[in-house]
Amino acid sequence: MPRYDVVVVGGGFAGMSTALSAREQGASVCIVTKQHPLRSHSSGAQSGINAGLRGANAWESHGLDTVKAGAYFSEQDVVEEICQEAATQVIALEHMGVPFDRNGDGRIDQITFPASSKARTCYCSDATGHNILQTLYEQVLRMQIPVHHDCSAVSLIMMDDGSCQGVFARSLRDGSLVAYSSGSVVLATGGMGRMYRDNTSSTASTGDGVAMAYRAGAALRDMEMVQFAPTALAPNGILITAAARGEGAVLVGSNNAQIDSRSGSDVVSQAVARELANGDVFLDFKDVDSGRLSETRLLIKDLVGMDISKDPVPVRPVMHRPIGGIKIDGSGSTAVTGLYAAGECANSGLNGANRLGGNSLLESVVVGRRAGESAAGHAGSVGPAPDLATHQADEERKVAAIVAREKGAESAGVIRRELASLMQENVGIFRDGAGLSGTAAKLSSLRERCEAVGVRGPASGYSTEIAAIIELGNMLDVAEVIAASALAREESRGSHSRTDFPNRDDENWMKHTVARGSDDGPKLTYEPVTVTRWQPEGSS
Amino acid sequence: MQVNLNVLRYDPVSNGDGSRQTYSVEVEEQSSVLDALIQVQEEQDATLSFRGSCRSGFCGDCTMRVNGKAKWACRMPVSKAQVDGEITLDPPRLVKGVKDLVYDQEEFLFDKYAATKPWIEPSPPGPADEHIVSQEKIKELQEASSCTLCGMCDEGCTVLVIDKTFLGPAALTRAFKPVADPRDKVIERRLSELSEKRGMWDCVHCFEATEHCPKGIDPTDRILSLRDEAIKRGIGTPRVVRHNDSFAKSIKSSGWLDEARLAIESEGLTNIGGLMHLVPTAAKAMAHRKAPLPYLHKKRPGSKHIKRIFEKWEKGSK
Repeated sequence: MPRYDVVVVGGGFAGMSTALSAREQGASVCIVTKQHPLRSHSSGAQSGINAGLRGANAWESHGLDTVKAGAYFSEQDVVEEICQEAATQVIALEHMGVPFDRNGDGRIDQITFPASSKARTCYCSDATGHNILQTLYEQVLRMQIPVHHDCSAVSLIMMDDGSCQGVFARSLRDGSLVAYSSGSVVLATGGMGRMYRDNTSSTASTGDGVAMAYRAGAALRDMEMVQFAPTALAPNGILITAAARGEGAVLVGSNNAQIDSRSGSDVVSQAVARELANGDVFLDFKDVDSGRLSETRLLIKDLVGMDISKDPVPVRPVMHRPIGGIKIDGSGSTAVTGLYAAGECANSGLNGANRLGGNSLLESVVVGRRAGESAAGHAGSVGPAPDLATHQADEERKVAAIVAREKGAESAGVIRRELASLMQENVGIFRDGAGLSGTAAKLSSLRERCEAVGVRGPASGYSTEIAAIIELGNMLDVAEVIAASALAREESRGSHSRTDFPNRDDENWMKHTVARGSDDGPKLTYEPVTVTRWQPEGSS
Repeated sequence: MQVNLNVLRYDPVSNGDGSRQTYSVEVEEQSSVLDALIQVQEEQDATLSFRGSCRSGFCGDCTMRVNGKAKWACRMPVSKAQVDGEITLDPPRLVKGVKDLVYDQEEFLFDKYAATKPWIEPSPPGPADEHIVSQEKIKELQEASSCTLCGMCDEGCTVLVIDKTFLGPAALTRAFKPVADPRDKVIERRLSELSEKRGMWDCVHCFEATEHCPKGIDPTDRILSLRDEAIKRGIGTPRVVRHNDSFAKSIKSSGWLDEARLAIESEGLTNIGGLMHLVPTAAKAMAHRKAPLPYLHKKRPGSKHIKRIFEKWEKGSK
C-alpha cells in the first residue's frame, strides 16, 4: 500500500468533502470506508442544508438560530465561522451539480425549517442527502481519489511521539489487515446509533471513529448530548424527515391535543414522549402540498401501507444522532497531532446542546473541507514513512487473539441487543441519576462478555463475525463515556434531559464536558463555553 | 410473528455450489426482511452474510431476490413477503456471488457507473452565484438522479443476460442525468462516448428495467431519451439513424413494417458492402419461405388513418 499524505476514514458527506479539499490542496489522499460511499448513511439525510444566501448579513440570524436551538451551549466563534461560510459552500455544491429546488426566478429556493426564524434551508425535494451524496461521489470520481471500501478501520497508527500516522483497517473481502500509512488521518466515520434499540442510523453507525480516537488519547466533548428525532414511524422506528414539519405537517396528540411542531427536535421529541404517556401521537400531513415530500410518501406507503394525504401517521421519538463527539476546533484539529475529524463523529461546538435542523449537512461539508485543508497542510511537514512492521505485528496479534478464543454460546449480536436496550432505557430521551449510575456497572459486565465472544465460522471473505466483535467493543467504549458524562451533568439542557434535575443551570453547568480515557474509565473535566455576540437567555 | 427465512448459503471455500438453510425467527409484526436477517445474524447465526445499510430505502445496498424477484429487503415487510410460511432469499441472479447473499457490486455497478464519467462540467456564472435553472428542469434532474444504483434494473435486463459487458440500464440511467442537465457543457462528448460499443445502442428496449425499477424512474425511457438526443445532434452510428428513418417511413406509408425495405435502407442504398452482407440472410429467408417472391408489401387496412396520425404529429412537432 503506498504512503498517502492524507487518509480519510469514512465516505459520507464529511469524508468525501474532506478528501476533495485535501486533494485540491495537492495532497495525495485516499478514502478508507466500511461501505461504498454511495451506501453511506448520508444518503438517508433527507432534510436540507442551511445557508444565509441572500444579503451580506444573512448569516447572523442563522448564527442566532443555531445558538438558540443549541440552548446557548454552542462555541460561538465556530458558529460564526461556519454560518459565514455556508453560502459559499452551498453555491459550490450547486456548481458541482446538486439539483437544489428553485424559486420562480430560477434561483435556489429555501424553506423555513423548525426552530429557524427565516426561510434558510436549501433542499432537493425530500432527498437532499441523496442528491448531495451522489454529487460529491461524482467529484471523487472526477478527482480520481482512490476509495478502499468494504474496509473497516480498526485502530489508529500511533507513533512514539504521540502523533498519528495512519490507520489499520480490516478488509472485509479477505479478512486481511492493511496498514494505510499517512502524514495525517481524518476521521469521518459518522454516528453510533446502533447502540440504541430504536435509532435512525445505518447498520454501519457503530461509533468506530470516536472509539479509535478516544483510545488514542483524543478528547471527547459533550458526549451526554444525544439527539432524538421526534417523528419516527411508530410501528417500526423508521425516520420521517424533519422536512415534513418544515413543509407544514403538524403533531397531534390524543383528543386532538396540538403539540409544538415548530421548535427544535429536543423540545419536540420530549413533548412527544410526554404525550405518548396519554395515548398515540400522530403526524398530520393535511396542510402539506400534495406535490411535496414524494420520497416520504413512498417510504410510508411501502413500510406501513398508509397514504399520508388521507391519514395522520402514528409517530414516536427515536435516537437520531450524537451531538457530542471527538473534540475538534473550527479547523477540524483534535488534541492528537496528525489526527483530524469532521461530521457526525466530531464535536466542532456548532450544535451546542441540540442541533438546528439543516445544520448537520452544512457542518459536514464546511468542517470537512477545513479538516481536509488542515490535514493536507500538516502532512507536508511530516517526515518520511515510518517502519510499521512492529505496529502491524501487534495489530495482527489482537485479531489473532479474537480468532483463538473458544467458540462459546455467546454472540456479539446478542450483547449488542442488550446494550441497545440498556441505552434506550437508561440513557435515552429522559435520564435520571439512579438509571445512569446503574448503567456503568451493566456496561462493564457487557464488556466482559464481549471480550469472551469467539468466532464460529471460517474467517473467509465477507464474514462479518470479527467485525461485529470489534464494532461492539467500539460501541461499549463510547457508551461508557456517554453514560458517565450524562450522570455527571446535573441539569437539563437541550437534548440532555434529567428528570431529577429538570432545569437548565447556567450558574453551575454552563461548561462543556471533556472526556479522556484512563485505566479507570473515562476521566471528565470541564471547559468554558465560548460566548462572542449572543448572550445566554432562557435559563430558569 | 414467526417467519421462516430460506437462505442461500454460499462460501467459495467451504461449499462451492451453495446449499440452503432455513432460519425460524420470531419478529415484530412490522419488521422488514432486512430486520429479520439482522435478527437472525445477531441471535442465531453470526456467520450469515448479507448487505444492508440505511434500513429505509435510500442507499440501495440491500438488493436481493425475495421469493425469486429482486427487491430491497428493507422496503419489504415480512408480512407481505411470506409465501406458504416461508421467505426465500437469494442474491441477484446476474452477478458474482461472494458469500451467502453478498454479491460483487464493483464489477456489476460501480465500475460501469464510473465509466460513464457522471460528473457535470459546467461553466458557472461566478463564484457567488448559482446557475439559473427552471424548477421544471430541476424536477426532471431530481427524478433522474433519484436512482440509488441499487442494480434492480440491471437484474431485469435481458441484454446483460447474454453480454455482461453491456453498460446496463443502471449506469445508463445515471448517465442520462448530466445529459439532461442544462449546466453541463460537454453533452456531445458524453453522447459520443455512450454511443460506443456496449453502450446505449445495445439496449433492446424490452422495458424489463422499467418494470424492475423500485423508484419508478423508467430506465428504458431514459435510454431512449439518450438515443433521441444523440440522433437530434447527429451523434451515433448513421446506420441507426437510417434504421429509425426507414422504420418511420414504412409505418407512415403502409401502416406496418416493411422488413425488407428496413434491412436495405438501414444498410444504406449506396453501401454495397453492407448490402452484400444481407444476401445470405435473404437467401436463407427465401429458402424457409419467410420472404415469398415476388416480394410485395401491401398497405394494411386503415393505413390512411395511421398516415394522418403521422402528419398530425409532424405538424405539431414543427
